[in-house]
Order: sequence, then C-alpha cells, then structure tokens
Amino acid sequence: MPNAILDPTGATKTTGKAAAPRAARPSSLKGARVGLLINTKQNAAPFLHEVGRLLVENYGVASLTERTKKNFAMPEADEVIKEMAAAADVIVTGVGDCGSCSAAAAADGVVFEAAGVPTAVIVTESFRATTEAMAELRGAPGFPYATTAHPVAVLTEDKVKERAAGVLADVVALLTEKDA
Amino acid sequence: MTQEAPFKAPDPDEAQRAIEYCYEQGWSDGLPLIPASKPLVDAFLATTSREPDEIIGSLEQVGRDCTVYLAAVNAAMAGCKPEYFPVVLAAFDALMRERAARGGGFQSTSGPAPLIVVNGPIRHELEFNTTGGAFGDGFRPNATIARAIGLIVRNAFGIRQHVLGQATQGVPGRWSICVAENEEESPWEPLAANAGLAEGVSAVSATLTRTCEFIDNRATPVTEEVLRDFADTIGRLGPQIFPQTPVALVLCPEHAQQFAGAGYSKADVQSWLIEHSGRTAGEMRRAGKGHVLNFGRSADADPVPDDDFHRVLSQPTQIPVIVAGAKNAGISMVVRIFGEWSGVATPVGEKIK
Repeated sequence: MPNAILDPTGATKTTGKAAAPRAARPSSLKGARVGLLINTKQNAAPFLHEVGRLLVENYGVASLTERTKKNFAMPEADEVIKEMAAAADVIVTGVGDCGSCSAAAAADGVVFEAAGVPTAVIVTESFRATTEAMAELRGAPGFPYATTAHPVAVLTEDKVKERAAGVLADVVALLTEKDA
Repeated sequence: MTQEAPFKAPDPDEAQRAIEYCYEQGWSDGLPLIPASKPLVDAFLATTSREPDEIIGSLEQVGRDCTVYLAAVNAAMAGCKPEYFPVVLAAFDALMRERAARGGGFQSTSGPAPLIVVNGPIRHELEFNTTGGAFGDGFRPNATIARAIGLIVRNAFGIRQHVLGQATQGVPGRWSICVAENEEESPWEPLAANAGLAEGVSAVSATLTRTCEFIDNRATPVTEEVLRDFADTIGRLGPQIFPQTPVALVLCPEHAQQFAGAGYSKADVQSWLIEHSGRTAGEMRRAGKGHVLNFGRSADADPVPDDDFHRVLSQPTQIPVIVAGAKNAGISMVVRIFGEWSGVATPVGEKIK
C-alpha cells in the first residue's frame, strides 16, 4: 500500500457552511436613511457623496450619514457595522479599486446584509473576481454588487460625478425589491 | 529521523505522476513540488516540540489558519529538508508579525515579496549561502525556505493569483528572497541584535517588500558621496505613495566596511540617510506626487512651498541595515518595504510567546 500524497491546504470549510442571510428590500428608497461607508481610496469620498446627493435628489432619500473606514484593506470592525446598521436603512460602500479593499467591501456587504441592512457594494470592473471570491468565502456565493470602469483614482471631479451618475440605477436596483 | 533509502533506484515515471498529481490539485506555484507523504512530514514535525494542530498564523479576512502541520506539508513540498523546518516556523512567525502581512498585503495589487533575513550559527549548520549571490539561486535552504512561505500563503491561506491575489505585476523572485547575513564580514552587529536579541542567537527577521534597486558605486573614496548615491535612490519618486517610504538597506561588505572605516556606526548611516533622502515638494508635484504632501494636513492649510525638502524617512526602524553578499564589489541593494518592518526577530527553535 503506497503512501498517500498529503493535502497542503487544510481545506475546506466551505461545504456545509450556512448561507449568509440577505436583508429584505424596501420597495423604494423614499424616506430612507442612507449610510455611506467610504473606504478612503482616492476619489471614493467624492464618488459616494455624489451617489448620495443623487439618491436624495432623485429617489426621495431622507438623510445621509457617512463613516470612513479605518483600514481599507480589512473588513470593518463589528461595532462600526452595528452603529451604521442602527443609523441607516440601507448602505452604499466603496469604491473597491484594489485587491484587498474590494474583497473587504464584499465582506462588509455580507455582514450588513446579515444584519438586515440592504447594501450596495461598488467596485471597479478589474476586481470582480476577488469581490466574488470573498463573498463566497463569507457564505454569500453570487452576492450581487455594482461596478464602475477602472480606474477611479485618476478621474477629475467632473468625471467622478459622471461615474457616480452612471452607477446610480444599479445601486438603486441593489437596494430595493427590483434586485430580486 | 533518517529513513533507510531503498536500494533500488526510484521510478522516474512514478515520480512524474506524483508531481503531475500535485499540479492537478492546484497546489503548485508553477514549479514542480515534492509530493509530501506522511513519513516525510513526520520527519519535519519531529524537529519541533510544537503540536501539529497549533495555529501559527491566521488571515482573519479570509477565515483561514495555518497550523504547524500545514506548514510542515508545504515546507516538504517546497523542497526543504526536515531540519530546515524550525527556520520555516521562525520565518513565518516573523512575517506574520508584520501588520501588512496580516492586513491584506498578500491580496494587494503590489504583490509584495517577503524579505527573510537569517542570523546566527544556524546559517552555517544548515549550509545557507552567506556570501556571494545573496539574492540569488543555487543554495537549497535559501531557495526552499522562501518558497515554503509562498506555498503556505497559496495553500494554507488560499491566496491565489487572479482570485484573492490581485497583483498588478508582482515582484520578480517573489518567494525566493532569503538572505543569510554575512556576519563574518560585517563591521557591525547583526540585524537580530537590532531587534533586541543577543548576538550569537539564531533568529529570523522578515518584512514585505515591493522591489530591490541596486546601487553600484565603487570608484570614490569619499564616504559621503557613496551615501548621497544611496539617498538618491531611497528618495526616488516612484515608490512614494505615502509621506514615509521605508526601506531595508542590504549593504555589500565593501560598502559596509567603507562606512565603518570612516567611523560610521549603523546608526550613523541610518541618521545620515534619514536626513538626506527625499525630494523637494516642487519635484514631487512635477511628477504627480503632490498629493503625498497633503496627508495629515487640513484642506485649508497653506500649500507646502516648492523648495521644501520632503524627507521620506523619519526614524531608524524605517531603515534596517543588513550586510550580505561577497566582498568583491561596491554593489548594494535598496529594498522597498511594503508597510513597515515590525522590528522583531524570531529565535529559531523556540516556542513562540
């Protein structure tokens, strides 16, 4: 009987892992409190501010609150998630334009959803694979998210606003019943 | 620990099938792996008093842990000898003390490479290369210990390119840099001593790096001219993305001895380079790096004047100094640190904390 070749991965805990719950959606954003979680990447703040402004202007959003991530590369601390989840009806987070921050945005999105808060995660198109891989690791395979073209960091103020406007319909769809 | 080799020559066809099997599982970094068997891995585990299921590092964001056992399997597959395993454990411990390594560094677009530095008698006991070709090939412990760390990240942590690994280009020789300091020809204390260990202790230090840039300077007797050449590279604009840009200096014995001969201690070299490495604000703006000047400044603060000199280093921990290579030319390396060195050296063969 020859020796077996040993597995160096220690995997896998993925099978049998409970699927992460997804929050119930409102039918519209009218009167909603929107929380913006800004990941500190260049242009993330003006991008999300413009998304927020357009949500107020065009979709009847009642209020905007915002938090800035302490560390873009890592999932946000539980207490920040809890505070934001308590203060907002829906969350918009991004802009994922690097390896660790896109994955972290997906991880944050899964946690917000499990806390009952519909969340729109925005990443650039270059980071689809890592966003999806992280969501799957967190028990949310097929997690829906919004994308904008890469790059974002080098855009002028006007272009950032154009991009924010371009992703708006997807963000609204992710946050409302249209998502289903 | 030693196993009796069968008298019969090994079957190459069977070996190839085993190697292909490892490729098919997705375990390989691209090069052939040694298929790990239980007797081989047991020989690794026998070199440490630590329990096989002890967790020695975690990547919280991906929910993966590395145990002593998994480190042993990966070290065996990397081509390590069992007796290298305590060094692998120390290297991995030192690396996981880096905030950047725990905090998403392996997923980063920069694709950083560990710089592993070995000090003490273990260098000779295990026959590390301690002289010429310090960053190069040809020496089993240097090559396979660095590779073992890469395989642990790939397999135990599950970070693979194009999925959770998002390196834009990565670093050449990413999992191959394990430098055994040339303590015999260094005029100064070894790196592990700077990390607070007694001299003569076998220890490993590690940090993540973004590249190596050589300084070839072997024609001037004026020490400050050589230092100015280093400062020029250290202060280069390309790596500047934050106000501080830490480096490791891997000095060849010739440069180290030239500095020491002129009365410079390691700390003196560090101080001189901290003072002189950087660019003016105007130079930074002309290269699209003006935003680096604004970190930590309020938006309504007056702009930094163009002729202000922006220093990229502020303290000695941002510029660890190592002596490595042959004493045959004035060729040294500036190694770009990704994040900041923890300042820790892990003793080899000790149970950690």
